[in-house]
Amino acid sequence: MKHKKNLFNQLLVISISTLIWVNLALAESDQLSGLEIAQQVNARDEGEAVSRNLVMEMIDRRGKKRVRETRGFRKYYGAEKRTIIFYLQPKNVRKTAFLTYDYPQVDDDQWLYLPAMRKVRRISSSDRGDYFLGTDFTYEDIKKEGKLGIEDYTWRKIGEEIIDDHHSYIVEAIPINDEVAKELGYGKVIYSVDSNIWMVRQAKSWDIRGNALKTVHTRDIYQVQNIWTAHTLEVSNHKTGHNTRFLFSDIDYSTGVTDDVFTQQSLRRGL
Amino acid sequence: MSRLNYTVVWLSHVLMIFSSISFNAWPSEADNEKIFSNIEYSALLETQWAYGISRKSSQKLQFIYEPEINIELPNNQKFTMIGRLRGDIEDNLEPGNPSQTELSPISRRALIGDHIDLALREFYYEAAVGDTYLTLGKQQIVWGQADGLKLLDVVNPQDFREFILDDFSRSRIPLWTVNTELSIHDTVLQLIWIPDQTYHALPESNALYAFTSPLLVPAAPSGVDLNLQPVDKPNRFFTDADYGARLTSFVGGWDLTLNYLYHYNDIPVLFRTLTSGPQPTVTITPRYERSHLLGGTFSNAFGNFVLRGEVGYSTDRYFLVPDRDDRDGVNKSDELAYVIGLDWSGIEDTFLSVQLFQSHLVDNQPELARDKVDTTLTFLARHNFLNDHLVAEVLWIQSANNGDGLVRPKISYEWQDNFKIWAGMDIFFGDQTGLFGQFSSNDRLAVGIVWGL
Repeated sequence: MKHKKNLFNQLLVISISTLIWVNLALAESDQLSGLEIAQQVNARDEGEAVSRNLVMEMIDRRGKKRVRETRGFRKYYGAEKRTIIFYLQPKNVRKTAFLTYDYPQVDDDQWLYLPAMRKVRRISSSDRGDYFLGTDFTYEDIKKEGKLGIEDYTWRKIGEEIIDDHHSYIVEAIPINDEVAKELGYGKVIYSVDSNIWMVRQAKSWDIRGNALKTVHTRDIYQVQNIWTAHTLEVSNHKTGHNTRFLFSDIDYSTGVTDDVFTQQSLRRGL
Repeated sequence: MSRLNYTVVWLSHVLMIFSSISFNAWPSEADNEKIFSNIEYSALLETQWAYGISRKSSQKLQFIYEPEINIELPNNQKFTMIGRLRGDIEDNLEPGNPSQTELSPISRRALIGDHIDLALREFYYEAAVGDTYLTLGKQQIVWGQADGLKLLDVVNPQDFREFILDDFSRSRIPLWTVNTELSIHDTVLQLIWIPDQTYHALPESNALYAFTSPLLVPAAPSGVDLNLQPVDKPNRFFTDADYGARLTSFVGGWDLTLNYLYHYNDIPVLFRTLTSGPQPTVTITPRYERSHLLGGTFSNAFGNFVLRGEVGYSTDRYFLVPDRDDRDGVNKSDELAYVIGLDWSGIEDTFLSVQLFQSHLVDNQPELARDKVDTTLTFLARHNFLNDHLVAEVLWIQSANNGDGLVRPKISYEWQDNFKIWAGMDIFFGDQTGLFGQFSSNDRLAVGIVWGL
């Protein structure tokens, strides 16, 4: 009997301690600024390297759908990130490939392989507000992969909400100046950041004239090899009525990706 | 097992013999099964119609079927085969059965009557062996940074049946080549050996796009008989092969290459002799001549701009001399040529590009048909609409020396994932003695449908 009473007391102490710790943690996260929330998003583990299939569905305002099947690889080299995407289907874009070296401080280096020309072309990295190969994602969106361009915006937490049954912080991001706003194509972005796993569940953007531009919704988020991973991204372009859906599959963080994948030779040779 | 399957098994054994050179692996049943599971078939089906505006007649009504088979083999080996079946109801581009003497027998097309030809376009095996990447077989190798005109992109010859109006990837003639690429840290050394003695396919004199410009073809003096000798074409497998090397590197944001090619120029030199007598005769003896080409390319991005260019120095180039008293009708000079291009994409979905091509003859020879310095400018404007469904562009090529040129507006629409329609015009202008002006009566309206299978 005495033994049972001791066990009960121990459980009570552990439970109270846990509650206190959770409350302290929540209180601490409640005090996070918009910038700190953005930093939490960028600090989230996304693996050193990843390979994955990506199906891009592009639907115009009349409901006509185009589908692109791709395979992509991404790898970090310290603060530098290298990404390559190979188009597999349909035939008319097959073997098109896109390579980017994303540096933390200087302009990125980007190349595009166009099979009709059989040439690797250097492309300008400043066109980050341009739309990526017919989708509603910009080159910058593709490059960031769910992370945030902290240096491009001023950040402010403006509230909290429940998105897809998950508690989220609402963070307002305003470009630091007109030039950056013009480059990005956004005058304002409102991010809804999951306060538990630090992923952006929804992002609403406005153009530089203040008109509603796009809504990005992140769905099917679950862990792959212990890394929280979005499997569906949906974008609605409110100006054009065009929609894009990205569907990720065969995601692998553990096998590793060899360095020679991220070269112009690889871009030209394809998979 | 179907006939196709037997063919693929046979093919897999041939490929495995290839691979066994480096991997000592004879195909097992398991290998065969794996090969079957990694076979990919695709094809392009295309119809093109071109209507000659000046001549008020159809230039071509062409159907193209391009099947492609890709096979992934064990140990990161790959095999690619691309064929082409082409039919043209009009038969104006290559009337009758062209001789194909410029092509080596193994690279020639099979001609089925006057209207249909069948070609093995590409047929190559790829393998990575350590730091070396091998590509063996019939293939295209593309060098250079220029668009629309060629400077270093001379590894493969070109089919001029439509002058330069056809896509380069389609008009470029693939060659049987040994292509090795060796990675050394951040630099790639490419070594190529081309025993395939195939050169530019030039339209015969009765073809719609036959060359007539005095820059390319000597004019026969009046009252003189013309005796055209057969082409003296290289035919020794080793001695007459082309060799090349390219170093590629990425340094401080710059894409750089250093290129060298020891090759036969793809257009034969037209040596001329004049025999006097009661009936004077001009004898033309076409002969392919060797040249060393040393050059390089560069490109880098600066904000919204991309700067790119290439430079090449060629030895022993031959140029026509119009003077009928000249000893052989040609003079030799080295040539320095370069192109500088500037691309701008500062407006969303818009791409603008200008290029300056210049060719300088090193030896000062005022008697030549061409100028010592030859300058050509190109301008390209492209805009994408409707999330890239619709693309409108115009390419303008202008010769500064002769005042002639070519304007090519084009619009294409992606109707469905695998279905594209396009329409365009090819408008030549300028004096008929110019490279572009010679086709000023060939202006055309062209439409096409492309279907991916």
